[in-house]
Amino acid sequence: MTELERSLRLLGEALAFPEAPDVSEAVQRRLVDIRPQRRRPSRRTLVLAFAALAVAVGAVMAVPPARTAVLELFGLRGATVQRVESLPPAPDPAPSGLLLGDPLPVGEGRPWVKSPNVLVPSALGRPDAAYAAREPYGLRLTLVYGPGDGVPRSQYTGVGILVTEFDGAIDTRYLDKMVGAGSSVEQLTVGGNRALWLEGGPHFVVFRTADGRIGEDVGRLAGNTLLVENGELLVRIEGEIDRERAIEIAESLEP
Amino acid sequence: MGDRPLAEDDRVAQAKQGDTRAYGTLVEEHQTIAFRTAYLITGSAADAEDAVQEAFVKAYRALGRFRQGAPFRPWLLSIVANEARNRRRSAGRRERLALRAAEDPLSGGAVPSPEAALLDAEAREELLAAVNELREDDRLAIACRYFLGLSEEETATTLGWRRGTVKSRTSRALDRLRERMGVER
Repeated sequence: MTELERSLRLLGEALAFPEAPDVSEAVQRRLVDIRPQRRRPSRRTLVLAFAALAVAVGAVMAVPPARTAVLELFGLRGATVQRVESLPPAPDPAPSGLLLGDPLPVGEGRPWVKSPNVLVPSALGRPDAAYAAREPYGLRLTLVYGPGDGVPRSQYTGVGILVTEFDGAIDTRYLDKMVGAGSSVEQLTVGGNRALWLEGGPHFVVFRTADGRIGEDVGRLAGNTLLVENGELLVRIEGEIDRERAIEIAESLEP
Repeated sequence: MGDRPLAEDDRVAQAKQGDTRAYGTLVEEHQTIAFRTAYLITGSAADAEDAVQEAFVKAYRALGRFRQGAPFRPWLLSIVANEARNRRRSAGRRERLALRAAEDPLSGGAVPSPEAALLDAEAREELLAAVNELREDDRLAIACRYFLGLSEEETATTLGWRRGTVKSRTSRALDRLRERMGVER
């Protein structure tokens, strides 16, 4: 340990932290009606279950099923990811098809949008463009980053990286994704938050409309995506980036 | 079986089965470091207390997901840190926590080791000011490693960073501090 590290240790001992309150009674009172939840199935279990289900589906469905036949379901608050037999047909990846909402000025500094819940990934810095859409459940904010710096232009979005924050969507099961056999879905923890990483083939992303219907016209194909719960936000990071980079971006989200 | 307290692993296992008393002993054991972790993030004692209480309740509910045999403290602290961040964010708070050194170390809660007296008051203030000027992530890395005494691994779990990130942020912060303090390597 260097001199400086030793000094920091000593400083730590001399710091004036407020006295830690005793929360044990308050916690005990709140545990009365709770039981620890049972373990969720691990990824391996899910994969096995998927394999078993795929066999069963293959055996039973000699007639082609509806294309959205659900083979596997992953959930986060505000989002579900379904594994389906085949994806809906791909619409043109026209930027207008991204339906990002109204452009926001992206000037010097922040905040260009006044909402206490907006997070900006410091790993990416100031976005090249930002959009906000007022949804029935709350605000949908999208930060757009152009290609470059090792990030290629996505064939699905026409930009580098999209960071979308759904404020208030947490309890509404707002976002649905459908993945085909070519994609992998991995359950992760990012910064202590639950997350899903979708990688491989394209997947189909659907935003629910106000009345809860799935509007197919607002669906589109998407590339590698990380979905993370973060406080009251559901954050979606999409781009032709690898898992590590996506996690790094998610970890760097700051108010 | 005497009066010896059960090992942490056993108490976690009991708590998983719904034994709130076993869980209570874990709360008592870890609440101080949980509070300090939350305080470092929120900068407010009231928010830190809320975050800690909520985190203990959430952790209990989530015990089923806790891998038996893994260290409990960093897992708990990751939930605490998350709650603390949520509170800081919803308070829209951006001002940084200005940590201060205790006027009289003996009255500051923690009892300092005799060695602590070796770092004289002036040097302490100067070092503390330098730490407070670090960027948020770097300051957190330093605080977890040296003020809370967490290992690199524990810091990574607590803050939800990769271990390499903890390493690089810590060393960047140490470099800054050295620059600032004019300390020789």
